[in-house]
Amino acid sequence: MQSTLTNEGLVAARSLSRTSLLAHLRAFWAVTWREWYHFVRYPTWVIAFVIWPILFPAMYIMGAFSLAGPQGTGITRFTEVTGTANYLGYIVVGTTVWMWANTMLWNTGLVLREERMRGTLESNWMSPTSRFFFVLGAGPVHAATMLMFVFATVVEFRLFFGTQFNANLGTLLVVALCSMPALYGLGFSFASLVITAREANTFVFLIRGLVMIFCGITYPLSVMPAWMQSVSTWLPPTIIIRAARAAALNNAPLSSLTSDLTLLLIHGAVWLSLGYILFTLIERSARRKGSLGSY
Amino acid sequence: MSEYAIEAEHLVKKFPRKAPAEEQNGRKKVKFTWPFKRTPASFFTAVDDVNLQIERGEIFGLLGPNGAGKSTTIRMLCTLLEPTSGTARVNGYDTVREPALVRQSLGTVLAGERSIYWKLTGRENLEYFAALYHIPPDVARKRINELLERMELTARANELVEKYSTGMRQRIVLSRALLARPPILLFDEPTLGLDPQAARRTREIVLELKKEGHTILLTTHYMEEADQLSDRIGIIDQGKIIALDTPASLKRRINQQEVIKMEVSGWKPEMAERVQSIQGVSNLVTRYLGVDSTWELNLHTENSRAILPRVIEQVNYNGTHLVNMNILEPTLEDVFINLTGKALRD
Repeated sequence: MQSTLTNEGLVAARSLSRTSLLAHLRAFWAVTWREWYHFVRYPTWVIAFVIWPILFPAMYIMGAFSLAGPQGTGITRFTEVTGTANYLGYIVVGTTVWMWANTMLWNTGLVLREERMRGTLESNWMSPTSRFFFVLGAGPVHAATMLMFVFATVVEFRLFFGTQFNANLGTLLVVALCSMPALYGLGFSFASLVITAREANTFVFLIRGLVMIFCGITYPLSVMPAWMQSVSTWLPPTIIIRAARAAALNNAPLSSLTSDLTLLLIHGAVWLSLGYILFTLIERSARRKGSLGSY
Repeated sequence: MSEYAIEAEHLVKKFPRKAPAEEQNGRKKVKFTWPFKRTPASFFTAVDDVNLQIERGEIFGLLGPNGAGKSTTIRMLCTLLEPTSGTARVNGYDTVREPALVRQSLGTVLAGERSIYWKLTGRENLEYFAALYHIPPDVARKRINELLERMELTARANELVEKYSTGMRQRIVLSRALLARPPILLFDEPTLGLDPQAARRTREIVLELKKEGHTILLTTHYMEEADQLSDRIGIIDQGKIIALDTPASLKRRINQQEVIKMEVSGWKPEMAERVQSIQGVSNLVTRYLGVDSTWELNLHTENSRAILPRVIEQVNYNGTHLVNMNILEPTLEDVFINLTGKALRD
């Protein structure tokens, strides 16, 4: 495209838009800070961050108290099955990882729906920025908020229940990083579903419930029937929870989690590719059907 | 560089539509369908074989009633929709094969003021969209200040958009479209929902932009707006462009026609047939004014003197009476009535 300024002050045939790798990265960063501003400008999140870390695991913890018996006699059996007597830590890590995976998964998937609700989806998609960035760009904010959530969880459980964590923070960080591609990939697939189905809540509740049961967030997988155990081995959140428990409660070194981390990265490659293909196909189909702006 | 800013050839857009529910004894029959089961779709044609060639630097108005296909045309041009068939080129780039280059060449304002973030300030909104439009940061900073100044928003640029008036939000939306200084602007109903003062300011800005050399495609269902702003107008109805010319030429087409505008109290819609049957009446369009059972009648005729006595006789009948009457020059609305037999507001 040639610049053709005909007279002084007249508009040129080429706009000021200059696409480059750097311009794409700046656009990605812009989506991230937009999402951050929206997060901090709705101050009710503070309440959620204080209450949820303790409220959500509390119901499982109370159940565990009652099952353990007055003198904690049931704990022996729990230790036999799980390999740890720290049942509070076991539950807290399970529920926290579940919440984190859930937030990553659904927030990535639902980011387009949120844009639709705000009325800004189309104004974003009319720009030359890649449409994947609008889904990906919100990820760092969700990851940062979940870090805050994890921190709140640890502080509250130490304060109220005296829970001890024997964590290897380095391993835990690597587990979190290796989990992201799989969760992003699942999020992409889910975002595609949101474009085509428009109403996502039914799917959210269905899949959230399934993951909750199959991934062993508060109990070992061995208590499930064999067929359920074989399903759960194929779900990335199961592997994430298993690896996170080892890192957070048993101070597991990175080398002991190699197989889980490799499996997570394979899941990541598969789900990211599948999510990318699905997103591309369904986004094009939405442009054909005209279902982009409606919800 | 392409000769035309915007070109469309045989542009068609069809949307799948679910078959309406069957009726049984006046009640809609609810049919069970399996989720995700594909039902044979019927299609609704929103844009039907549209051909357009818009010159560089011109304001082209697409005038038509709601649901005529104006917004669908704009959405195809700005790559939000893919045409079912036909081709469209913007700034010489194909909207399907080269969507990124099309988006770089365009600034678009879609109807509605919620296309910006209410939880960001005016300036943050523009900074955000400048990044999305790949404008280098130093150029963007200068351009944002320039636009805020132009739109008289500098003093309130750091306030959240949710605190802005409707007119101010619209000016931020306009600024967003102008950020990249694109050669081509698409404005879909830019004055919809604005108060008269804000609408006037928006129209002034559109004319300023034309002077700067922008090509503007504007859709509206306000005929005065189309008349005032457009160099050429395409009248669109049911997805088809039914007339395309300068406003003056379009009006000249029905110059031999006279328009009688009447206000009638107590009018009953069934009386329309009697008035229409009067020899010499070519078109009659009625509209309820909502005050004291008063209706507005627009009559098209070639000779008002010849038919007036009979029309007045028919109107002053059985409790109805004429309240006001004028014989007027044809407007674009009359051109539309003449072409379609209905008013733009229908």
